[in-house]
Amino acid sequence: MEAILYIAALGGFYALVYYLNHKTPKPEGCEYIDAACQSCSVGICSNHPSQNIKKEDMIHVERS
Amino acid sequence: MEGFFTLFISAILINNIVLTKFLGMCPIMGVSRKTSSALGMGAAVVFVIFGASVFTYGLYYSVLKPLSLEYMDLITFILVIAAFVQFVEMVMKKFTPALYKALGIFLPLITTNCVVLYVTLVNITNGYSFMEMVVYSIAVPVGFTLVLYIFSTIRERLDNAPVPEAFKGNPIALIVMAIMAAIFTAFAGLV
Repeated sequence: MEAILYIAALGGFYALVYYLNHKTPKPEGCEYIDAACQSCSVGICSNHPSQNIKKEDMIHVERS
Repeated sequence: MEGFFTLFISAILINNIVLTKFLGMCPIMGVSRKTSSALGMGAAVVFVIFGASVFTYGLYYSVLKPLSLEYMDLITFILVIAAFVQFVEMVMKKFTPALYKALGIFLPLITTNCVVLYVTLVNITNGYSFMEMVVYSIAVPVGFTLVLYIFSTIRERLDNAPVPEAFKGNPIALIVMAIMAAIFTAFAGLV
């Protein structure tokens, strides 16, 4: 029981921090900081340009 | 005091996490194309590993051990690291925009950096005291940054070098990494 409560609390803490982080606006001048990221090849990173491809564009690419 | 110094030098040079355990290869390969990015990533890794280590060490000995939940250390540390990175990003956004501008872009990458998890787990499995944990948690990311920086300077030169077509990109980078690993074995008798 303690383990379940503990992991629930930890998961809840993560969810809270994640929500607060995404709610916090980026500082002035850093709105488009992601666009400056050109040196990394980690595709799963949220900064990677491939993460910004819209679903419609992906369908278009697949068809073409 | 001598023990701390040995631990520090050993973690940086002799048992360098990248060149002996081959951990953290993803950011090493990904963020080593420019020296400026390498230093930014290195600084962010030092900051996050130290913070996550102190936090997980405290959590293990003040919560997990008293409640006999030691078997949950892995899942705890993963969640703590992910939460810590989110928290650091939020604080940087709010209070230190300049630091966020410099390091913020590397923070999401650190969540997937296995070196962070390795250090937090080793602090527990090796039974380090608090001071040993502090020294080890600073030395490992410093060693990571050292290798990342050296590797980035070599890769910048490789861009202008006449590399055969078949070796361009990652193949030559991996060969360079192998040579670096061989060179670093020379530090084995240092301490």
